[in-house]
Amino acid sequence: MSSPPIGMLRSGRLSAPRAVAAAGAGVALTAVAFWLTPMQGRADFLVVAYLAATAAYLLAAARLEGRRSVVDRLAAVMMVTTVGTCLLALGSVLVYTAVRGVKALDWYFLTHSMNGVGPRDDAGGAYHSIVGTLEQVLLATLMAVPSGLLVAVYLAEYGRGRLATLVRAVVDVMVGIPSIVAGLFIYAFWVLGLDRGFSGFAAAMALAILMLPIVVRSAEEMIKLVPAALREAAYALGIPRWRAILRVVLPTASAGITTGVMLAVARVTGETAPLLLTAFGFDSIQNDPFSGPQSSLPLFVFGQASSAFSNAVDRAWAGALTLIVVVLLLTVAARLVTRRNRLA
Amino acid sequence: MGLVLVGLMAACGTDDNSARLGARRPATVPGSADAAVISGAGATFPATLVQEWIKHYRALAPGVTINYQPIGSGAGIQQLTARTVDFAGSDVPLKPSEVEATGGPGAVVQVPWTAGGVAVEYNLPGVEDLRLSPPVLAGVFAGRITRWNDPAIRADNPATSLPSSGIQVVHRSDGSGTTQVFTDYLTAVAPDVWSFPSGKDWPPGTAGTGAKGSDGVTAAVKQSMGAIGYAEPSFPKQAGLGIARVRNATGRFVGPTAAAVSAALASATVTPEGTLSLNFTPVSPEAYPISSASYLMFYRSMPDPTEEIALRHFAAWALTDGQELAEGLDYAPLPESIQNAALAAVRL
Amino acid sequence: MSAPVATPEAPPGLPAIPAGAHAGDRLFHGVTTAVAVAVLVVLLVMTAFLLTRAWPAVRTAGFDFLTEREWFPDAVPARFGIAALVWGTVLTSVLALAVAVPVALGSALYVTEYAPPAVGRWIGYLVDVLAAVPSVVYGLWGLLFLVPRMVPLQQFLADHLGFIPFFHNPDDIFGKSVFAVSVVLALMVLPIVAAVSREVFRQVPNDLREAALALGATRWEMVRTAVLPPSRSGVIGAVILGLGRALGETIAVALVLAATFDVNLRILRPGGNTIAANIATKFGEAGAMGRSALIASGLVLFAITLAATVAARGVIRRTARAVTGRP
Repeated sequence: MSSPPIGMLRSGRLSAPRAVAAAGAGVALTAVAFWLTPMQGRADFLVVAYLAATAAYLLAAARLEGRRSVVDRLAAVMMVTTVGTCLLALGSVLVYTAVRGVKALDWYFLTHSMNGVGPRDDAGGAYHSIVGTLEQVLLATLMAVPSGLLVAVYLAEYGRGRLATLVRAVVDVMVGIPSIVAGLFIYAFWVLGLDRGFSGFAAAMALAILMLPIVVRSAEEMIKLVPAALREAAYALGIPRWRAILRVVLPTASAGITTGVMLAVARVTGETAPLLLTAFGFDSIQNDPFSGPQSSLPLFVFGQASSAFSNAVDRAWAGALTLIVVVLLLTVAARLVTRRNRLA
Repeated sequence: MGLVLVGLMAACGTDDNSARLGARRPATVPGSADAAVISGAGATFPATLVQEWIKHYRALAPGVTINYQPIGSGAGIQQLTARTVDFAGSDVPLKPSEVEATGGPGAVVQVPWTAGGVAVEYNLPGVEDLRLSPPVLAGVFAGRITRWNDPAIRADNPATSLPSSGIQVVHRSDGSGTTQVFTDYLTAVAPDVWSFPSGKDWPPGTAGTGAKGSDGVTAAVKQSMGAIGYAEPSFPKQAGLGIARVRNATGRFVGPTAAAVSAALASATVTPEGTLSLNFTPVSPEAYPISSASYLMFYRSMPDPTEEIALRHFAAWALTDGQELAEGLDYAPLPESIQNAALAAVRL
Repeated sequence: MSAPVATPEAPPGLPAIPAGAHAGDRLFHGVTTAVAVAVLVVLLVMTAFLLTRAWPAVRTAGFDFLTEREWFPDAVPARFGIAALVWGTVLTSVLALAVAVPVALGSALYVTEYAPPAVGRWIGYLVDVLAAVPSVVYGLWGLLFLVPRMVPLQQFLADHLGFIPFFHNPDDIFGKSVFAVSVVLALMVLPIVAAVSREVFRQVPNDLREAALALGATRWEMVRTAVLPPSRSGVIGAVILGLGRALGETIAVALVLAATFDVNLRILRPGGNTIAANIATKFGEAGAMGRSALIASGLVLFAITLAATVAARGVIRRTARAVTGRP
């Protein structure tokens, strides 16, 4: 598992077959113990067998090797354990959602709304929320990306002095805004304050608040990575600074900026909390994001999830699977864009 | 590109779920020729039945579109007062202050349009039949009885073997007419055990955890073994939960069946306003004690006469043919005397 | 914050830039500045709206806003406060970090220090994917998959560790407890902390690792002496990022936790609440005072998150000083 420790020439070394044998002995011992004593249960067996195998492996190492080497082996075992735990637990999120989700996920589900469908009916779908999510995320992107890019250019190119410090501080604070607080901002300002009511547009504004700092941060980093030589070459050709920024700096940084934008889009696509306070949710198709409550995929899942009826719960899983697929496609696309990034 | 996508999706999605919801064959009713859009909001308790009515009525009167948003009795009355809806549903009649706010006595027609029991639902695998007397029920929900094998529960269920696990009480976390009826009942039948205020909000200082809506309470009960809660009977029935039988004034343990609820409502008195004053100690041995009616409310003269006619036609249909749908959804048909009084108030 | 790479105004002596270009530059500078200022102004206005909306609740409740546990803002007389909510928010987040951080650091170290590069890269991809899974999915999965399967574990803890007040559960009911929700939160925080600390460990120069190995260190000794010390401030940053997510998590908590308004340490008892989850569940039916009270509680949540970030900044600055020896 790890390379031989240097400087322990006198001590022996636990060979791989012996290590396997020791671990196997631990498992066998557990099996005997479960057979003879009242211990039972599959999960219990796995846990005890794992502990016994680890202990046997370390004991075998201790007989042949020094203390430092045993500690090293223990550390390695623990790290493999943490990775295993991590992948097992998180992998089961994806696998279980996929298995439960495909049950109700079909063309009918994707093309029908929840209009007139009660929690126990075997009918209805997520079409209205897919429309809502697409419109809200699109509007949020239209608001957050141009302004975020300009703020990033300001910070990277002109950002000195008190104003820049203030802007940077505010962007830092915005990164830490809990998403439900972003929803409250728009709720207090737009929905109540200006009395505009719930709408897809209000939701888009809340999402834009969450996107903006991510876009600013990643774009600023990318702009700063553009080599000074490129910029100076442009200046040397007599190109004014603003054109150098627009024609040389931003295009060079574009792949990195795109990655940042797509990750921001992926993040807000799955946001639920702010939408509760801004889009509110709706059962029927609402194509106009500017008037009246609208649904969205995360809201749909949340609404169906807390039901006692299996039809609603099946819809929740199907919605969750749809949502995961959308978000993962965006994430993978962001990765592919990063791969052809010339800077990072 | 996104806009194109949205356009494409807009072309292939639909609000029409009638194919899977199984709309019925059209027939003719007095309101068949009406054309109006009517919106209502209010209690969640009758929502399942009201939505079923709307579904059926759409086939009978294609020109009438009715929306009912189950947002709670209190919110429904608020919307009616603000005249943002055409009708409201409420589990409790208007209070005097609310009558004033809607324009004085008689301005709003309030008629009972369905009835139902508040079922006590529980999750105890292996226990098919749970019987609870009022003091025990109150003790459990007050947090005084905390284990299923408590002597008091065993005394009610001598033939059943009960587990020693703890009792997880689940109550409504939102303001609800169901909570009002349930706490009114506990106050009426077990005042020495249930010393808490009754109302739409579950009182603090009692046992258990909250969940939103009857659906949420039922889901929470279903998700944890040893839990107990309260909701309309249709919820535990379809979620596969046990429904407790509650001891009534004659000493019999009765479940919230349609017949038992109708029997209980026969003991209720009809007030001059057409509303019911409930009796939690009904005299009939068949009666389920935690029974109540739910009300339809609308203004006696609505600004748009065609809407009013369509609404009255719909209400008359719901009070007659519509009552036949009640039992299948675990609501109770109204007793005939109450039904007739309501019809008289609704008909033009 | 590092100095921007961009060159400042052209120093004297360079060829004169055409006059029209200056106008264009000024315009461009003006536009970008204006947008930056506009963002500030919009946020300021929104904050002002938030504060005005929160004020009625704070004024009505007075000092009780901080000490009261129950939440009946629309009752007459109103009775509400954030004591139970703040307690639940902090408790679930701290527990979530206690579970998530060791696992996250272990897997990040495995990826950067132990795994073959190809394996490490794929684990890295998977962790990134999991960081992108929406919280509502974690909530759904936690509610319907994890919590029922955790009942035996909770029972085990109560039976064998019940003498510790934390694990004492007199009610003998197990399920939607603070402990369960903390584990769900831990799983949500895990990929974030793992992904960021992985990047932090990658930044450690290979020279340090090679020097340690050349001196005869075992791999673990190399990690302990060469990788962890220079990563400390970065790892703290990763943990704070996770804490921020845990504090503000709404939907998963609203789905998994059974709502009560208690303040106690019995983490295995069903029940508890957090500021964010309370906003999500109480929002729909809130009246005027209820909405004001929810907004006020949201401001408190914001303040807690901000305080955690600022505190972390302080710790990072101090450890950075300790490591580099520079002020």
